[in-house]
Amino acid sequence: MVRFKSRYLLCEVCVSDQSSLQLLDDRTVFSAVKAAVCHAHGDYGAALCSLSFAVKYLNAHTGVVFLRCRKSHYRLIWSALPFITSLESRGQRVPCFFNCLHIGGTIRTCQKFLIRYNTQQLHRMLRHCHTEAERLEVRRAVMSCSLKSRGKEEEEEEEEFEEEEEEWGEVV
Amino acid sequence: MQPTDKMEESAIYERRVFKNASVYHYMKIALILENEDKRMNAAHFKQLIISALKDLYGEIGAAFPFDVLKFEENTLTAVLRVYNSGLVKLWSALTLLGSYQNEPCAVQVKQVSPFLLALSGNSRELELD
Amino acid sequence: MFTNLEKCPRNLLVCEKSCFLNEKSRHDIHVAKHYFNYKVSVLIPECGVIPSRLRSVVNGFTKYYLVRDLPVYKLLEEEFLEKVASKGSIYALSYNTKIDQDNTIALLPTGQLILSVDKDTYEELGLEGQVSEYNHRQPMRYVVTIDVTSKSVALGTKRYKRAMWALKEKMPLRSDFLLARHNIAGDEEGALQSFLSQHNCKELRPSVSIQTLKDLPCPSLDPASLRGGGELCDPHQFLEWLGAVTIGVKCDNEASNFVSTYCCPEPQGSISQALLCTVTGLLLPEDIHSLLEELRRYFDEPKFTSWLSVTVHGFADSPISWGTTEHGYHKGGENFYSFVVFKNQDYWLHMGTGTNDGCPP
Repeated sequence: MVRFKSRYLLCEVCVSDQSSLQLLDDRTVFSAVKAAVCHAHGDYGAALCSLSFAVKYLNAHTGVVFLRCRKSHYRLIWSALPFITSLESRGQRVPCFFNCLHIGGTIRTCQKFLIRYNTQQLHRMLRHCHTEAERLEVRRAVMSCSLKSRGKEEEEEEEEFEEEEEEWGEVV
Repeated sequence: MQPTDKMEESAIYERRVFKNASVYHYMKIALILENEDKRMNAAHFKQLIISALKDLYGEIGAAFPFDVLKFEENTLTAVLRVYNSGLVKLWSALTLLGSYQNEPCAVQVKQVSPFLLALSGNSRELELD
Repeated sequence: MFTNLEKCPRNLLVCEKSCFLNEKSRHDIHVAKHYFNYKVSVLIPECGVIPSRLRSVVNGFTKYYLVRDLPVYKLLEEEFLEKVASKGSIYALSYNTKIDQDNTIALLPTGQLILSVDKDTYEELGLEGQVSEYNHRQPMRYVVTIDVTSKSVALGTKRYKRAMWALKEKMPLRSDFLLARHNIAGDEEGALQSFLSQHNCKELRPSVSIQTLKDLPCPSLDPASLRGGGELCDPHQFLEWLGAVTIGVKCDNEASNFVSTYCCPEPQGSISQALLCTVTGLLLPEDIHSLLEELRRYFDEPKFTSWLSVTVHGFADSPISWGTTEHGYHKGGENFYSFVVFKNQDYWLHMGTGTNDGCPP
């Protein structure tokens, strides 16, 4: 079967103040990336990127962003991402930078990567825990996030993924 | 005259074919301004082209060198030199260049060649009337 | 980043090194086979005034005619062929026709009439021809060659009559022509004049311009080393410099200059003055040959310079370049050659062509 091949960029929005992440929405990220591409690659680059470019997923708690674009032009977006220094949302300017974590061909590979990445992050957090309660919390989180046990997940992150996956399945 | 032995020695026939060996392309262009009284110098002209490139290909896409070899201020014609890899970008940016200081303008590409020497003889310029 | 934008059409540069005294030297063939020449420029370093013999050669270039609205079949008529074409070599090329959009016609001294026509004209014409080599997927241009000297299309044959009928009645092609004839001997002007008098025509002389250039940086040349290599400049750099001098580009820019960073290739010397003489028009290979012969004699007396150069540009819109090799325009239609003549009668010959052109001979 023939389909348009896409690339998914898994990025992390890094901000100094975690609470400002709540201000973000899809449109903010979309326009910021679009403007960055336009600045770095001009009208021509922006036009190439706008083909099937979309913000597929945004987690306002962790700052994880999924961007989709055509396979042939993902480098344009990729190279423009470092030039984003702030996001403009609801009249407020949030200084931030984009950290590109992974580039995958399907949402599924990105999801796998993200789970692995989050597990690593949790492991790292475990070392810095001070109280027993915190430690238990993190440990429980580590245990819960694995692909195998995904079926009985209640974390909203995972749910979102499943939605995405269904959609992806339809496209194929 | 050179001594004969030298002549015989240097008369060895040699032939070489270079395919796509030229690293540059040369363009002869003319800028057409709506307001003909407007003056500009070579630096302004180059800046105009660079801004056209930045509009179309952005900061990264426009980051390649080119030279304004010659610029005639009274006729607004210029000879540009650009690396082969930048030719298409430069040409397309020139085509889409539409205004200078908020006034309409256009660029006419007269001749493009991988040899600068070829720009000195353009038979399409032959006018007999 | 945009790799698809970084491609470039091909170009060819053929470089030859030989000696005029060498029996096998093919310089005269190369000159004679390049039929339609638009411009010749001669650059003589360390020379302030044009030598009188050179001046007389340049001024003696054959005159040419601009014939308005000439029906193409006239070039195939018996009268024209017998009285005009056979008594000398005749060159005709359609004027102000662009080979990438119009019908272009050329008559060679060998007797071949070459029509490079678009698809519609070709189909209307109904003559046998070949698809142009430089088409896209869909053939849009065809080349028809009518060789009156060959047996099958000789005067009076069936195919000759068909060609005449096609050009006269089926598709009466007309065009402005540049026409010139090299007279072999005797007074044959009369026939040509009577032919021309039937049409609206204008006699023209090749225009000569002479200028003296002052204080030029100049790359050092070694006749033995054509390819350059080592420290010397390669042929492309040399031709770039020659072009820069011819069109008056500043050759001593600093590397930090904003506008241009062009510099004369190293190692370089300097020339206090140089003579640049250009002739423009429809120039005959015979005249260029005599110019070249004259320039070879320039070194008979001792001179300050060890080399001089002659550059010949072909018509960009001619349907052929060298011999009967098909020529197209693509981006620039360049076809030129350039001789560098050395003191010891060695020469370099550079022949350059663009994309829609075969390899020079």
